Parts: sequence; C-alpha cells; structure tokens
Amino acid sequence: MSARARRRLSTWGVRVGLAAFVVLALGPIVWGVVTSLYPTSALTNVPPDLDPSQLTLDNYADVLASDRSLTRGLVNSAIVATLTAFVSLSLGSAAAYALARLRVPGGNRILLGVLATQMFPGIVIAIPLFLVFSQLGWVDTYPALVLTYLSFTLPIVIWILKGFFEAIPPQLERAAAVDGASTIQIFRLVILPISLPPLFATGVFAFIEAWNEFFFANILTRINIKTAPLAIAEFAGQYQTLYGQMLAAAVLASIPVVVLAVVFRRFILQGFVEGAVKG
Amino acid sequence: MADVQLVGVTKRFGAVTAVDGVDLHIADGEFVTLLGPSGCGKTTTLNMIAGLEEVSAGEIRMGGRVVNDLSPFERDVAMVFQNYALYPHMTVGENIGFTLRLRKRPKDEIRERVARVAEMLELGQLLDRLPRELSGGQQQRVALGRAVIREPAVFLFDEPFSNLDAALRIKMRGEIKELHHRLGVTSVFVTHDQEEALSISDRIAVYRAGRIEQVGTPEEVYARPASRYVGRFIGSPQMDILVGELVRAEDGAPAYRLGAGAFPVPPALAIGEPVDLGIRPEHVHLGAEGVPARVRVVQPIGPATHVTVEWDGGTVTARVGGIARYAPNDGIHVAFDPAGMVFFDRETGRRVELGGAEHG
Repeated sequence: MSARARRRLSTWGVRVGLAAFVVLALGPIVWGVVTSLYPTSALTNVPPDLDPSQLTLDNYADVLASDRSLTRGLVNSAIVATLTAFVSLSLGSAAAYALARLRVPGGNRILLGVLATQMFPGIVIAIPLFLVFSQLGWVDTYPALVLTYLSFTLPIVIWILKGFFEAIPPQLERAAAVDGASTIQIFRLVILPISLPPLFATGVFAFIEAWNEFFFANILTRINIKTAPLAIAEFAGQYQTLYGQMLAAAVLASIPVVVLAVVFRRFILQGFVEGAVKG
Repeated sequence: MADVQLVGVTKRFGAVTAVDGVDLHIADGEFVTLLGPSGCGKTTTLNMIAGLEEVSAGEIRMGGRVVNDLSPFERDVAMVFQNYALYPHMTVGENIGFTLRLRKRPKDEIRERVARVAEMLELGQLLDRLPRELSGGQQQRVALGRAVIREPAVFLFDEPFSNLDAALRIKMRGEIKELHHRLGVTSVFVTHDQEEALSISDRIAVYRAGRIEQVGTPEEVYARPASRYVGRFIGSPQMDILVGELVRAEDGAPAYRLGAGAFPVPPALAIGEPVDLGIRPEHVHLGAEGVPARVRVVQPIGPATHVTVEWDGGTVTARVGGIARYAPNDGIHVAFDPAGMVFFDRETGRRVELGGAEHG
C-alpha cells in the first residue's frame, strides 16, 4: 500500500471512529428530543408512529403544569450548582495557587491526598455521609448537597488550576513586583486577568457536575430541595411511565447546561488547552 | 543614579549555598556583567540585588544605603527578564506604562512618557498590539521600554538575549550598549555567553560555583585570566591548556617541553616549576619554524580559519587569517608567541604572575 493510500485510509478510519462516537453520544439525546415532541400513544405503537402531523408541545405544557414541580427542581438545581461552582472556584483557585507557587510543606502529599479522595466509589461514602448529615439534621438542606458536590468538584478544580498556574512564568509576578505592584495588585491586575479562561472552564465544569448529579441528591434530599434530575425521575411512576413528559422535562433541564457550554465554549477550550501545556 | 556594593553576600537554599560571600563594587554608571555557566549563582546574585530573593548573609548597598530589607520597587531598580515577562493581556503601551499606572501618575503624563520611550526604541507603531503579536526582537524591546520608562537608579538584565537568534542577539547587544551610553545608568547584566560579556561590559565578574573567580575589564579577563577556569571559560575557540614541563633547552634558554616538542618561554619562570601552559589560538603560529606537527582538522569561519594541529606530545588550535589552504595530514611547524603564553599552577589552577614579562 502506498504512503498516500495509507494516509487516506487512516483519515477515513478517524472519520468513521468520530462518527461512531457522535452517534453514540448524540443518539439518545436526539431520540429524547423526538420523544418529547410526540404523544405517548404514538411512541408506544410498534413501530413508533413518527408522522409529523402528530408533533405536539403538549408534553411541555403538561410538564410545566404538573404538580411534580420541575420548576422547583430547576430552581433548586440552579442554587446548588451555582453555590458549588462558586465555592469550588474560590477555594480551588486559592489552594491551586498556593500549591503551584508557594513552598507548601508536604505539598505533593496534599495533592496525592486530594486525588485519592476520587478513588472511592460513591456508594462507599453515600451511607456514612447520610448518617453524618442525619445526625447534623442537614438532610434535605442545601449545605448537605453543596458539601457533597464539593468533595468531587474541588479536587478536579484544584488539579486543573494548579497545572495552569504552574504554566504562568514566575517572572511575570517578579516583573510586576519590580514595577511596583503589591501582592494584591499582582493577583488582581496580572494573575486574575490571564486566568479567566481556566477559571470559567473549571467553574462551568463544577456547575454541570452539580446540575446533573442524581445519586447523592436522591439519598440526601426529601421534599424541600429536590433537584431537577429527581423531578425528572418522578415521571416514572409505579403504574405508568410518562415518557413524553419525562423527556420534555429532561430537555428543559438540559437547556441551561447547553447554553453555558456554548457561551463559554471559547473559554473552555482555551482553558483546557492552556492547562494542558504543562500539566 | 547609584553605585551598587555587595559585601560578603551569601545565599543559601537549605543545605545548598548558591552564592558564597560575594564582594563586588559596581561604580555609578558602570556596566558590569556577571558571567558564568548555569547554576553558578549569577542569576541568584542579580535577584538579590533586585530584591526578588532574600540575602542569607552579607549586605547590599545602593548609593551608600543598605537595601537588604527594601522591596524591589523601593530599591528603584528596573529589570529585564530572560523570557521578557510581558503581561500577555496588556498592549505594548499598557505594558510600558504599567509601572506609572501603579504609581497613579496622571493619564496624560503616562501617555506622553510611553510615547517618548516607544519612539526611542522604535516601538511607536506597535503601541496597540498585544505581546503575542510581536516578534522576539520587538518583545525584547518592549521589555527594555518597561525598564527604561522607570528612569531607575539601576538596570538589571537577566540573560535578556538568550531567546533571540544569533543575528538579532548581536544587534540587540549594540542597542543595549548604545542605550547605556545615552542614559548612563548603572547596569548589571547576567549572561553565560562569554562573547556577549566581552562585547558589552565595562567590567566582567566571572563566577564559579557561587564565588567570583575574577573581576576585570574585558581585556584583563581575556589576556590575563586569574585561573585556568577563567582562561578556558573566556574566548572562542577555547584556550588550549597543555600539560608539560619547564626545562632548559640545548642552548640553555628556558623552554616548555611537550613530548617531542620544546617551546621557548619567557625567562621569568623557574625551571622545574609544575605549571600548565595556556595558549590562545591567535598566539599559535603555523609555518616553517618551530616543532614539526601535522594538521588534523581545518575549520574555515570566513575572516579566519581554525586549524587544529598535533605532534607527539600535544594538540593545539591555531587561528590563521583568511581562508587557509591546509588539508588534514599536511606536515607543518608549530610555534607559540611567548608574549601570549599564560602559565597556571598545576596544583591550584591560579595563574603564575610573570612580573609583566608575558606582555613584553
């Protein structure tokens, strides 16, 4: 086989692989959107009756009118996800900066410890966590969820931002010091502006993690702070599952995440690439 | 404007002593280069002068006042960094004017002073560009501009040209030298490039393992190296160090014997003294007289040719003017200019003083 033919073959190989991946990732979403736009009766037929004349927004109207409180779930999710993202960034950026720049005693061990927390399956910590929060009377409160989510967003935020901060040449801070900037001015006028992309990227990451989380939310909430994923799940009942409404709810719940990802796409790409340069 | 004085300056990182009791006086308006291989303590010394690194022991004085505990800004120094360290999110103009902005100078004054500096450094057209849109040489000039606008008492340069290509490096050397001539500000320049040091300095401090091995003008460190180390470090191609013995030749005159060859030496040396001979390529003569040898390698470099020759007992490189017509294995005679010979104590490596005779 000639070099050119081989190259063409490998190009096609890559394309086929990517196509398979896209179908795998987007297929369920496309089917979910389609499902949300047909009455349940049309979908339970074999084969499904996808006649365009049957298209309807009834599912969406029903979801918003339903007493299953998707709206309340969205609000709860927004509060929990925003708090998680905000605290992850504030604590994570400070910790990452310190680990990247200052001579922290046992810094490497701290970093390993941070990573080690990610090695336990959720189910292992779920029960103890529930017991602890029960004792504290925190079950079904925002702090319980936010603290739990921080335990898996914070380590990742720290690792990503540490890689980024390490890639900033220390001479930049030294130059600013020689130019007469105080430590706070160095952070505010030099470090912060060039760190916006990775801060956005990791912030969006933490938000999405908290927004989508189901397992812990299911265990740690009762009524008051049910999040959107739980509200969606409620459309599956004991006697019937309202697929149309359930997927309409899921589509609605995905919108904020998609908007975030699209709006900050540029920052996210740039952020991850820059963080990767010296990771 | 200020002089800079280092008195017993020492820097320890844990158990490692990076700078070990350095004494150096840099006169007001002088251009002094700290020269040495990487890891010799020269950059640490510069960082201590700048106030970016604390002094473990000793004193740094500027204009007579001890500055050990002052911040870089209070010391009134400006620094140009190896990788330029331009603020990537600021334009050229903002980079240059940043220090004035921190000092809350009026906007008009900042604009005017930035424009003046930009014109001096031929950056006038680039004020609104971001650093990443500039070439390496332009970035270097912005870094210079950021230092110049301060009108500081002392300029500090940390290997500012090491990221530039060879041609640009030589051009920037000229620009720094011209700038220094024009502004007359005391300057401390760090480099590992001996040619760069020779070409721009009033004086050179040659570092070795955290200490200064020799301080002197470029001529002094080149022609009268204090030690074998300095002799080898300065000059390109390197000074050849030959290990032989001082003997009395058949005619009774003192000579340095290297295997089958004996080279006449200045008369001030004691016969039998254990010394090594240092000789630079320009003091090696090839021709019809001297010790019979043969050519090994010929390297023309344009204005001159480096010819490496060997005989039974030694190998040296000669610098011959123009493009020399030698070929490997050519038979030839090699002789040394006694005035260019330098002798080093075999034990200590220090140069043996000949009482001025070696420059006769």
